[in-house]
Amino acid sequence: MSTPKLELVGLKKEFADGSVAAVDGIDLAVEEGQTLALLGPSGCGKSTTLNMIVGLEQPSSGDIRIDGRSVVAVPPGRRNVGLVFQDYAVFTSMSVRENLAFGLRVRGQRKAEIDRAVGEVAELLGLSTMLNGNARDLGGSELQRVAIGRTLVTRPAILLLDEPLSNLEAGTRLATRRELRRLQKEAGLTIIYVTHDQVEALSLADWIAVMSAGKIRQVAPASLICQQPDNIFVASFMGTPPMNLLRGALTRADGGYVFRKDAFVVGLLPGTDIGEAADLPVTIGIRPEEVRLCASGEAGLPARVLLAEPRGSETVVTLETGGQVIKAVIASDHRPTEGRDVMLEIDAASLVLFSGETNRRLPMIAELRA
Amino acid sequence: MSMWPHQDTIATQHMDVIASSTTERPADARSLSISAKRTASPVRFLAAPGQIVSLIVLVLPLLVALYMSFTNWTPTRGSLLNASFVGFDNYAELLIYDTRFLEAVVRTFLIGAVCLSLEFVLGLGLAVIFLREFRGKAVLFSAFLTPMMILPVVVGYTFWMLFQSNGPINQMITLFAGQSFAPEWFRSAPFAVATVIVTEVWHWTPLFFLILLSGLNAVPQNPVRAAVILGASPREVFWRVILPMLKPVIVVAFVIRSMEIIKLFDEVFMLTRGGPGSSTETISLYIYKLAFNDFQLAYGAAAAFLVLIGTLFLINSMLLPIREQLLKERR
Repeated sequence: MSTPKLELVGLKKEFADGSVAAVDGIDLAVEEGQTLALLGPSGCGKSTTLNMIVGLEQPSSGDIRIDGRSVVAVPPGRRNVGLVFQDYAVFTSMSVRENLAFGLRVRGQRKAEIDRAVGEVAELLGLSTMLNGNARDLGGSELQRVAIGRTLVTRPAILLLDEPLSNLEAGTRLATRRELRRLQKEAGLTIIYVTHDQVEALSLADWIAVMSAGKIRQVAPASLICQQPDNIFVASFMGTPPMNLLRGALTRADGGYVFRKDAFVVGLLPGTDIGEAADLPVTIGIRPEEVRLCASGEAGLPARVLLAEPRGSETVVTLETGGQVIKAVIASDHRPTEGRDVMLEIDAASLVLFSGETNRRLPMIAELRA
Repeated sequence: MSMWPHQDTIATQHMDVIASSTTERPADARSLSISAKRTASPVRFLAAPGQIVSLIVLVLPLLVALYMSFTNWTPTRGSLLNASFVGFDNYAELLIYDTRFLEAVVRTFLIGAVCLSLEFVLGLGLAVIFLREFRGKAVLFSAFLTPMMILPVVVGYTFWMLFQSNGPINQMITLFAGQSFAPEWFRSAPFAVATVIVTEVWHWTPLFFLILLSGLNAVPQNPVRAAVILGASPREVFWRVILPMLKPVIVVAFVIRSMEIIKLFDEVFMLTRGGPGSSTETISLYIYKLAFNDFQLAYGAAAAFLVLIGTLFLINSMLLPIREQLLKERR
């Protein structure tokens, strides 16, 4: 494989005052043309990571490489990294044209050169008609386009966007999402999104890196991360609602295993090999999307509906079964009434097991399915 | 419109109807006055005493002075009603023949230009220094602000003593440069002007410092960071990003100080009394002399009105660059 566009190696940031590391040794590689979302709850260190990549903050240790070259000692303006701030930080005292030209002007480029580059980017972002307008008079999504254009003019190797959708109205979000996708394809950009919103992350990026407490917990394609979380943190963070996690034990039963917690019993796929983990405590992960309500007359696990929360075409149903409370996502037209007794079925192939000791996913189930 | 206190909903609805049925801007103004008529009647009575007082204290004297400026009244003539009406004679005299007045105007303007430039540069420099952390910052902060809290008369008197021919300043000069470099500050025009400027700058740089420091602290950080990431040098960041964002604050500081400079009186009065000759005579000092030395009260009133008109033009044109920004509705 070629050298990654961006590579973080053991990147660490400790602030002078506290003993806690804001970023605690992260490794990450982003390939050219990839889109990756750095996703995590606020305070997880993603903003610090972002600031270190652009050079606003110096790492305590570790390395940042762009195109294989370490940039730790390179000042922010020379790293060839673009950043679009959450509040866009457009220069309101300037016209749109001056905003777009700023990066090249301070680099001392010739006027003709600047005009050509500004024209190109304005065309790409649909800003051509408002070039002479004052940036102060623009609305949210236009400001964002100016902010993106302002950095694109300098042809950054990597473009970083901080919470790109959170300041936009619901209506413009969809359009902006599409626009960012198109832009990424057309300009062949390598983009890193930084966000705390998993919907934003999943809709914008092909890859997701989940962060918490200064560490990267998992890097996986967006399409996979909800199904195969590496550990309990990712499992409890991803998905709305997140995976149901129950701590219990496995027992052998004719040719396979069953998971037990009090009266709650669910069978694993027949033929699953658990190896030495067999008798240890485990946590089982059940995706709400894989819990199905049985049609009347069908056999299944008896359950009672505690709560049904509709959210458009789907309804989140909270169920009590075998003394445990689990959530299920059901199509709204099959939505049960609260307080009713139902039968439910859990797709055994979708179950995920985590070691009770390390909280990491036990790999064999995924292998079996593959 | 949202800023208007909605006293009752009917009036509010009216406002909305009017606002939506006519074109935007005039509708705003009209709806405000209509709603005031409908909602504020009890409130108006409560405000009446204040309005009557301000009518008596502000408007009446102003009108009397305006009338006076069209007469040849002096206190020796008795009642103002005995004075004869001379039309624009006083104004014509001031603008065409009274070189002392015109010189005072130009002088005040020049002293102001020099003072404000120095105060701005020094104040901005200090403010930029105060953006960083250093030892003793809190103490220095208080110390730097102290001058502007001192009464102008006291400042004037203090500097008058400092600038005496055998005062501390000349003794320092003698100590470091020799006796021959110590001037008689109040005996020559350029040196006398210099004492006024030094005093004024010492007295009022703290105001610039304070206003600019609070302005700098309020400058949003992200545009600054954005400029740094785009490759701007610290100098470019300062001139192209920070300073333009500071523009409204700078203009306001200049406006406040300009109005003060036009009124410049106390310090000059204490330092030089306008001398030697009339070489440090400011507008206020000249009008003061007209009124209280020569008892030319009508003529002085005309001069004061000319100054008022000039000030109105000056201040409004200074506000021009930020006017739009200040009056624009917030989104």
